[in-house]
Amino acid sequence: MKFLRVFALTAFSTLAVVGMGEFGTPLTAADTKADKKAERIKAKEEAKKKADDAAKKAEDAKKAGEAKAAEAAKIAADKKAAAPTKPAVSRDASAVAKLIDTQIDARLKKENIAPSPYGSDADFLRRVYLDITGVIPSYEKAKAFLDDQSTNKRERLVDELLADSNYGRKQADIWGTKLFTVDSANRFVQKEPLSAWLKEQFNKNTPWNAFVSSIVTATGPVDENPAVTYFLSNRSVDKLTDTTGQHFLGIRVSCAQCHNHPFTATKQNEYWGLAAFYSKVVPEKPANANKGGDNTKLGVTEGKTKSKTKDFFPESTKTVPAKFFGGEEPKLNANDPYRPALAKWLTSAANPYFAKAMVNRTWAQLFGNGIVDPIDDMIEKNKPSHPELLDELTRQFTASGFDVKHLIKGIVLSQAYQRTSKPSTGNKSDEELFSHMAVKMMTAEELFDSLTMITGTGAGGNETKKTGVKGVTSGPRANFVNFYVAGAEEFKSTEYEAGIPQALRLMNSKIAGNPAALKQFGTGKPADILEKMYITALSRRPTDAEVQKLTAHLGKAGSTTEAYGDILWALLNSSEFSMVR
Amino acid sequence: MNLDSATRRRFLQASGLGVGSVALSGWMGVLADRVQAASPTAKKPKSCVLIWSEGGASHKDTLDLKPDSKGAGDFKPIKTSASGIEISEHLPKLATHMHEGVLVRSMTTPEGAHARARYHLHTGYREGQGGLTYPSLGAITASELGNAKAAMPNFVSIGGRSYGAGFLGPKYQPLLVQDATKGVEDLKTLVSDKQFANRTGLLEEMEKAFFHDYEAGATIDHKTTYERAVKLMQSKEAKAFDIGAEPAAGKSKYGSGKFADGMLMARRLIEVGVPFVEVTLGGWDTHQDNFEKVKNLSTQIDNSVSALLADLKDRGLLDTTLVIWMGEFGRTPNINNKGAKPGRDHYPKAWSLAMFGGGLKGGQVVGKTDKEGATVAERPVKTGDFLATVCEVLGIDHTKDNEAVSGRPIKIVDKGNAPFTKLIV
Repeated sequence: MKFLRVFALTAFSTLAVVGMGEFGTPLTAADTKADKKAERIKAKEEAKKKADDAAKKAEDAKKAGEAKAAEAAKIAADKKAAAPTKPAVSRDASAVAKLIDTQIDARLKKENIAPSPYGSDADFLRRVYLDITGVIPSYEKAKAFLDDQSTNKRERLVDELLADSNYGRKQADIWGTKLFTVDSANRFVQKEPLSAWLKEQFNKNTPWNAFVSSIVTATGPVDENPAVTYFLSNRSVDKLTDTTGQHFLGIRVSCAQCHNHPFTATKQNEYWGLAAFYSKVVPEKPANANKGGDNTKLGVTEGKTKSKTKDFFPESTKTVPAKFFGGEEPKLNANDPYRPALAKWLTSAANPYFAKAMVNRTWAQLFGNGIVDPIDDMIEKNKPSHPELLDELTRQFTASGFDVKHLIKGIVLSQAYQRTSKPSTGNKSDEELFSHMAVKMMTAEELFDSLTMITGTGAGGNETKKTGVKGVTSGPRANFVNFYVAGAEEFKSTEYEAGIPQALRLMNSKIAGNPAALKQFGTGKPADILEKMYITALSRRPTDAEVQKLTAHLGKAGSTTEAYGDILWALLNSSEFSMVR
Repeated sequence: MNLDSATRRRFLQASGLGVGSVALSGWMGVLADRVQAASPTAKKPKSCVLIWSEGGASHKDTLDLKPDSKGAGDFKPIKTSASGIEISEHLPKLATHMHEGVLVRSMTTPEGAHARARYHLHTGYREGQGGLTYPSLGAITASELGNAKAAMPNFVSIGGRSYGAGFLGPKYQPLLVQDATKGVEDLKTLVSDKQFANRTGLLEEMEKAFFHDYEAGATIDHKTTYERAVKLMQSKEAKAFDIGAEPAAGKSKYGSGKFADGMLMARRLIEVGVPFVEVTLGGWDTHQDNFEKVKNLSTQIDNSVSALLADLKDRGLLDTTLVIWMGEFGRTPNINNKGAKPGRDHYPKAWSLAMFGGGLKGGQVVGKTDKEGATVAERPVKTGDFLATVCEVLGIDHTKDNEAVSGRPIKIVDKGNAPFTKLIV
């Protein structure tokens, strides 16, 4: 049981206790003016090098896994120059999987909880398709996998899916929402360039540190550097600070915006110290797109003084010197950009939160629950269920050169991930030891893409079309997602959060009830048609009992077509369809 | 005690629904002939109709006229059914209900841009404050007073998008009705009722095995939601969404047009027990041509609101239904010089709103502005003061903490507010 839903503010006292050790010292070493200049040049060079490395790495990735591994190891070595020597890190994902299973199994044994058995091929197929690419497999793909007799087919499938461009799209859906929350100040800012950029970055597997660094330091016009959208959409220093804490460090810092925790005096200053790194950002104002404004070339610059952007500083703002969260006050030259220093600290291998937050987040994406849960509340009082495992995975992730695909592959190859989500005797109440897989809800995007793949409604599903308003995209997918999410902030994947309007939409609109969709199942013996329907909708074959019952229904309905329409409707409206089992 | 919040929530939900034992009876089959009747003996919880003047109504041309001031404008004040209270001559029917209502003439709020002001007045918080999205009054009412088992939604927003549930989650989102004449989207099946019954029967059958094998909490919620949706489709309460069913005689006094239709639907919804209905009337952003526009809009308000109040009273619902008429701010006391037909600009510093019914001691005014209608002279009312008062009138404890993400406690209305409930009930 996780019982600590702790007010995130307690993080601050924790930080004070944990401290960051030598963390932060590289910057304060630059004491003399010459040193500072050298430091600046170095920071610039490093930023450039990071970008170059990322580009180069993407190219290499296409060629050979070994070359990629060497490159990643080199980056890791560069990053970890000051870190103590640790045992070699395996580039073999199955070694990561083994590490996971050793730790998970040991804990289950200790708690005397029996794990559920290994899940079926069908379970694995559907789960891994949705978890990696965000959409169910097509009938053909599903059937081929189910019929494949080779022993290594699961790993091959994982490789195939990680190389699928839908992988990047799924991650772009996840991160697009986190980095761009629509509000009154950004509603005319285009989201599309950011989505496309995110998709590209994830697909070419840009190392996580380089990825975050390019967001945090982004400048320039959006058509040249879509990462600046982060600043165009988070148009105030507190939003930037909150997002940085929550998504990149796994800590909700936002409560400290307005008040201190009762037990320490410095916390509010911690918040505003972090915020100060963003204080010189100048995001251009989006034009009113309803009146024909063109926002395709908006830019972001870093000024020499405090930003004068309207509403950039909330009323609660405290002006304090820039200070790393829980760490040092770096020596910054007022004329220089502040964000490179922040990015360097943030994405450093020595940062105790950065890599860990991503590992935990990725784990939660796949398992439904984080090792620390909630995932954005990684504070001392909110204990990880498996601390050693989290530390070791973090070390592996850092040493792999922040390779996200490698991390995902390692996790999904584990037995823990591949267990059935059916609880077995004695493990039903376990929610945090991973004795069985959690049943997750499809996201709105996954539901739309999966439904439209079957019913064909929604004009291809993936498409976004331009509205009359320049730069603002709409279309069936975005509309469905907006309708489904209904403005809600965040979803926990293990909870069903939809309401009546959403259920009505699925039951009574063509998205799950398009008669034309029946064509794909052809004509023939009922058993064959039903099998095709089940594999298409649920990625599994029907049981004998199901075939029997449904065959009986065929006789009861007004016509055969009507009966099959009923069956498809029921399949697509079932909880099994909208859940990742 | 130490349950995590999801488990705790589900436990409550399950026990409340009587499905704790995972004994799901054949719900879909029995729904068709089930009529959900409100218990006549239970004390009726209060409901609320929020009439939103989108754009911000000019207080000096509606509820707080200053005939002797500099920017007095064209309109004359008239007497109302409450002694000593005068309102605009273009609200004559509403004037006859003033003894049932309370005016607040001392609203003073911090936001002067539409979207931020709307957010603030709906939620009591500033947009972006503390990195959260806050629930609107409608979502708060739905979560505090709504019936989780009811077929009908607990929050309906007509003609506007309103503001949603924020961190309370999608369950308290408003059901949106864009066009009252068309009712609710997706409420009718694509197939015949008989075939739909077949379908739900199949679905129920199909769910059994999955439900049995996986026992996931989310499947309970999925089933419950579908159950409620089907119940809604088949309930007689859902006919409240069909304003075509209203007798012509009852309809005409609401006036005509989209807003009148929405107000009629609001009454029908309140009648069947929906706790919160918001109806939006746009067009109040009168930077230009203020007087012609406000006159026209006032007439719409006058017809529809007076009709609503009369209908609620006839049905014995006025004492339990709080009707609020407000917008995001007032408008400048002076008239601008924009063109031949000038107007008034945004003005959050001093403005007015009205409340009726809901058990209020009517015929009263809270607060007062100076002789220009430019500053608050007496009893300033901040957004939090107002929302806390509304909560108290509706029977909601506004000091209660809701749990936002990460278990962060957030009060329904922030600390430091001073409700003026004692003055008006």
